Formats: sequence, structure tokens, C-alpha cells
Amino acid sequence: MRKVVKYIISWFISLFRVWRREFYLVTHDAGVMLFFVALPLFYPVAYTLIYNPELVEEVPFCVVDDSRSPQSRELVRMADATQSMQLIGYASDMNEARRWMNEKACYGIMLIPSDYSVKIETHQQAVVPFYYEMSLLMRYRTFMSALTDIQMAVGAEERQRLIAEAGDAVAGLDVSAIDSQAFFLGDVTQGFASFVIPGILILIIQQSMILGIAMLGGTSRDRRRLNGGVDPLAIEAPAVATVIGKVLCYILIYTPLTLYMLHYVPLMFGLPHSGCAIDYLLFIVPLLLASAFMGMVMQVFVSERETSLLVVVFTSLIFLFLSGLTWPRYAMDFPWRELGDIIPATWGVEGFVNINSNGATLSHAQIPYTMLWRLTTIYFLLACLLWKK
Amino acid sequence: MALWTIIKREVRRLASRPIYLLSMVIVPIACALFFVSLLDEGLPTKVPTAVVDKDNSALSRQMIRDLDATQLLAINSRYNSYHDALEAVRRGEIYGFFVVPDDFEKNAIAGNSPTITYYCNMAYFIPGTLTFKGFKTIAVSTTGSMATMQLVSAGMDSESVGALIQPLAIQDHPMGNPWSNYSIYLCNSFAPGVLALMIMLVTVFSICEEMKRGTSIEWIKLSQDSIIVALLGKMLPHTAIFSMVGIFIQSLFFGYNHYPLNCSIWVMICAMMMFVVACQAFALIVCCVLPNLRLALSVVSLFGVLSFSITGFSFPLEDMYGAVAIFSHIVPVRYYFLIYIDQALNGIALYYSRWYFVALAIFPLIATTMLWRLKKACKNPVYVP
Repeated sequence: MRKVVKYIISWFISLFRVWRREFYLVTHDAGVMLFFVALPLFYPVAYTLIYNPELVEEVPFCVVDDSRSPQSRELVRMADATQSMQLIGYASDMNEARRWMNEKACYGIMLIPSDYSVKIETHQQAVVPFYYEMSLLMRYRTFMSALTDIQMAVGAEERQRLIAEAGDAVAGLDVSAIDSQAFFLGDVTQGFASFVIPGILILIIQQSMILGIAMLGGTSRDRRRLNGGVDPLAIEAPAVATVIGKVLCYILIYTPLTLYMLHYVPLMFGLPHSGCAIDYLLFIVPLLLASAFMGMVMQVFVSERETSLLVVVFTSLIFLFLSGLTWPRYAMDFPWRELGDIIPATWGVEGFVNINSNGATLSHAQIPYTMLWRLTTIYFLLACLLWKK
Repeated sequence: MALWTIIKREVRRLASRPIYLLSMVIVPIACALFFVSLLDEGLPTKVPTAVVDKDNSALSRQMIRDLDATQLLAINSRYNSYHDALEAVRRGEIYGFFVVPDDFEKNAIAGNSPTITYYCNMAYFIPGTLTFKGFKTIAVSTTGSMATMQLVSAGMDSESVGALIQPLAIQDHPMGNPWSNYSIYLCNSFAPGVLALMIMLVTVFSICEEMKRGTSIEWIKLSQDSIIVALLGKMLPHTAIFSMVGIFIQSLFFGYNHYPLNCSIWVMICAMMMFVVACQAFALIVCCVLPNLRLALSVVSLFGVLSFSITGFSFPLEDMYGAVAIFSHIVPVRYYFLIYIDQALNGIALYYSRWYFVALAIFPLIATTMLWRLKKACKNPVYVP
């Protein structure tokens, strides 16, 4: 009995010593501190600054007006008056318009056919082709939604005019028989930063942590290589105590940073932030743990302090796509969805975005939350198995 | 011949460590294949959505059938209340829902203007946008057909009413990418981005590693004290390998996958080779300023990852803050992307892309003016961990 108690006490002491040594190693390594502290502090700000203008506005377009009528000028004025589009001028023909587009003076061409005014006046359908430059889909989307609104506004106007002309039979009839109204959830302003930043924050947490841990692992291997296979700064301790002690150290460092990223960054830039703090902070605990254990597993692939960057950095892009933030997960093929399942950030993004942007509670995020705890367990066991090899 | 000696030495170095094979060949090609395979649908259609039908009339059922029949949407479930549907959005099960109010059909026929409401979860941009598009189309066409029905029943002839459903039709002509296929656009920007990242990392790693291991003295000595020869010999094998990898990725996109290629393939190949050299030169500039393995690698990684955003692949440059947007001009991958748009996507005259080629050529020129710093560092290698 006494032996068992003694073993337990010594186990905890060794855990504490590992924790203390790891803390020393982290705080005395500028490279690791860059990833553990500077990156979580400044990357969210840099990313938000890039996307903070939120909306694509006043995209330039030009007009080739073959109709030259009051009706066609009215149509152009309507387009120019939208927040999304800005008229840069009238081109004499399509060739000139194409030249403007080639010179990047405009990204859309509206071609008003010569029979436009006749068609409108005689209540026939008028067709107006619009040519989009397709380099960026954001511009295309901006043009398209503005043009749909114009199409509907002109439609409503024409209907009223027809009724006025038709006389008594239909007088007083309200033809806008059905109204429809769209509401946007999550990112109510449809801004780009509001959409992308909450997910990016989770990826920054995971990737900065993995980078730092991989670098610590590589540095230890460098030391071992120089010291005949023994790391002079390592603490003798059981594998489980070592893994837990180290991860506790990383979690301690990340606690204030996580609070900063998930709470203050959205506040600073006015991003969606409707979740309850208790929900997302509880939710994030298994993400931190799973990322830390995953980082310890990734140490296997890092043979040298600096190769950690070559091995880890590019995975950020892969993980971003696997997370379903840009490309939804329901549209992914089976193997990619499976691969995404074993990345903590995938579940982290899903749960955090729902909590932060849509005001979900922890119980709504039940699936991602339990998946994160499962990943924590799996990576913890793997990290313990791979230790001391 | 000193140059030949250095080239042979570098090839031996590249072959001796698996990390080079991994980061020069496997990672860029695997990432390109990953993007192609992940996005091969082009558009994530059949977005999971739901309806809340409080009316349960012939008209509302017709609308729901129309919704389900669109390519964009899949009506996965029906809920009894707004609240239940919102809960499903919060659980992440659906990306939007369509609400038909009580007594909808009755009010519509009586001319009381009932309101259809629809909700789109814009926290996920692409599915949210597609949901919005799908819902809006059905709402608008129902409005149009109801108005027509009313006018016809009021005694107007159906011919003149017919045009009323849509008096003005704006015809979409997306040039170059008529399917508005996301894959074409994401693959052509992200795969070169990953290639740029790996070129910069490998270039910095291979140069500064010489200083870490103290072999830089021998390296400079072998090249007869000429940093130009030393770097040419070191970089040329990399240039060859990365160019081949880049051209392979292009053949995957333009050849195998038939992405739009409206120019001669040689223009794109030439752009790719200049892009590879520009990325190497960029990394070289970082090495000259910070001749320290870990710092230079960190700078290149942080910059390389940020460059995916700052080049304006998704959010246009002219809408960014000016002070942020200027940084995009120092990113080589932006110029490759612009050449790709002008040439491969839009197929316009080479004349319009002239400055992008010049910009790519400027990177190596800037690098050559700073090599003296690197030489100094190579002669007195100091390893700072």
C-alpha cells in the first residue's frame, strides 16, 4: 500500500518537473515563442485587416447602349445607383468595351440592344445581356445580386404600368400578390471578414500550437544528436506523465491567448459574436487538448528543429479546406470527409462558428464536442505510445 | 568548372535527404491533386435545407416541390415551426429554411399579399449564397405566376400578361468560366500558392542549412569565392525540379482536367518558370536580410500563408484598405495569378499582361543587389537556434 502511494506521489512529482522544464524550454526559445505567442496575437489582426472592408462595392462596369432611349438610360441609372455597381462610361461598341475590360477598367459589360425601348413600351420581354469578367467570383456574385434586384424592380414597375393602361377591368388590383423577404443568419451583413475570421481563429489556434510543439520536438532531437542519443534537458519520467506534463504547459500558455482570440478579436473588429462565453470556452477545451496531443504525435515526423516548418506549414491550407469553411463538407467525397474527421480544427470550426455566429449553445454543438473529446483520447493514447522511441 | 562542381554537389545534397523529395515534389503535387479531387463537383449543389410549411395548401406544396426540384437545393426535412428550423441551423444540419405562413394560399388568392420568408446561414458563405439564390428564384417565380394568374382571371388576355412574369430579363454571360465553377478558380489560385510556399521554404532551408551545419565555407570555396556561381549552382537544380513540378500541375489542370486555356500553353509554361525563379529570388532576398535559418524560415512561412489572402484570390484588392493592399505587390504568386487570368482564362492579347512578366523578372534583379550580405554570412557562419 505504501509503495503504491509512494509511486503515485513520485508520478505527480515527475509530472510537475516535466511541466516546469517544458515551461522553461518554451519561454527560453524565441522560435517557439514566436509561434506560441506572437502568432496568435498578431495573425488574427492581420487577417481581419485584410478582409475587414467586408463587402465588395462599386464594382466598375460599362455600357454599350444601342438603344439610346430614355428607357435605356433609366436602366443604366438604376444600375449605377446601386451600392454594388459603378458606371465608368458608355463604350461605342463591344470592341471598345472589351478593350476597357482588358485594361481592367471595368469587370462587367451591359449590352442594351437597339430594340430595348420598343420591347419595354409594347410589353414584350426585353433581354439585356450582361458580360461578366470571371477572375474573382466575389465580383460576379456582387454584380449578379444587384442585377437580379434591378430585374425585379423593373418587373414590378412594368406590371403596375400595364394595369394602369389596361383600364377599368383590372383597376385597383394589387399584383404584387406575394411578398418575399430574405433574412441572413450568422453573418447578417454578408461581410467577408465576418464569415471567414471565426473559422480562421480556430485554425490559427491549432496550427500555431502544432508548429510550436513540432519545433520543440525537433530541437530536442537536435540536442539528442549532439549528445550521443540523450537529450540533456529531458526529465526522466514515465511516458504518460511526460505527455500530460508537457500538454498542461501548452494549455496554460494558450488559455489567455484563446480568450483573447475568441472573445476580444471579434469584439475589436465588430465581427459576429452572439455565443455565450461559457459555451464557447467549454467547447474549446477539447480542441486545445486535441491539438496539443496531435502536435506531440506530429513530432515523429520532425527530425530537426527547422524542418518542423517544412512539414507543418503547408498543412494549414489542407486543413482549411478539410474544415468545410470554404467548401462545405456535405459536398466532399467520402475519403476527404473521413480525413477531415480526424483533424481537431474541422470539428472546432463547425462548433465554434455555430456557437459564435449563430448563437448556438453547447448542446447544439454536441456532435463536434464529443468528436473533439474522442480525438483528444485518440491523440493522447498515440502520443503516449510514440513517446520514448 | 566551378559551377558544374556546385551543381553536382547540390544534386547530391538533394538526393541525400528525404525532406527535399517530400517538400519539392510530393507536397506540391499531392496538394494540387487534393484540390482537384476535393472540388471536382465544381459547385456544392444540393445544399441541405428545410421548409416550414404552416399552410399545407396546394400552392405551398407546389412551391416546395419546385424548391426540391432545383439543382441548387435539397429539402432534407420539414419542421413545424420557425424555432425548430432555427435549432437545426444551430446544430449545423441545414444551411437555410423557407417559411410559408399560415393561410398563405387563401391570402394570396384574395390579394392580401402574404409574405414568404426565407433564412440563409451566411456563416458558411458558399452554401449560404446558393441557398439564397435557390430560395429567391422560387419566391420570385411564384410571385410572377400568381400575378399572371390574377390578371388573367380579371379578364386580361393571357398573351399580353405572359411577358409580365419577367418584363426585363438580364442574360448572364460569365466569360471564360460559364459554369461559375469554383474548382477552376480555386485550383488555379491555391495550387500555385502552395507551390510558391514550398519553393520559398526549400530555398531558404537549403541555403541557411549550409550555415547551420558550417558547410557554407566549403560551399563558397568550391565556387572560387564567387557568390553568384555558388548560388547559381545551388539554385539551378531546384529551378529545374520546381519548374517540372509546376508544369506537371499545369498539365493536370489544363490537360487532364480541361480547365479553360485560351492561350498558347507555352505562355503559361513560360509564366510558370518565371514564377518559380521569382519565388526563389524572394526567398533569397529574405535570406540576405536575415541570414538565420530559423528566422528566415519563419518569415517565409508567415508571409507565404498570409499571401493566400493578401493576393486577392477571393476578396478583390481594390476593396481592401490601401495600406494593406500594397503588400500584394510584393507577392510573386499574384503576378502568376494575373497572367493566368489574362491569358488562360480570358485569352486576351499578351500586351495586356506585359507588366506582370516584368514584375516577375524584377524579383531576381533585386536579389542580385543584396548577395554581398549573404556572402559575408556564409563566410562566417553563426548558428542561432
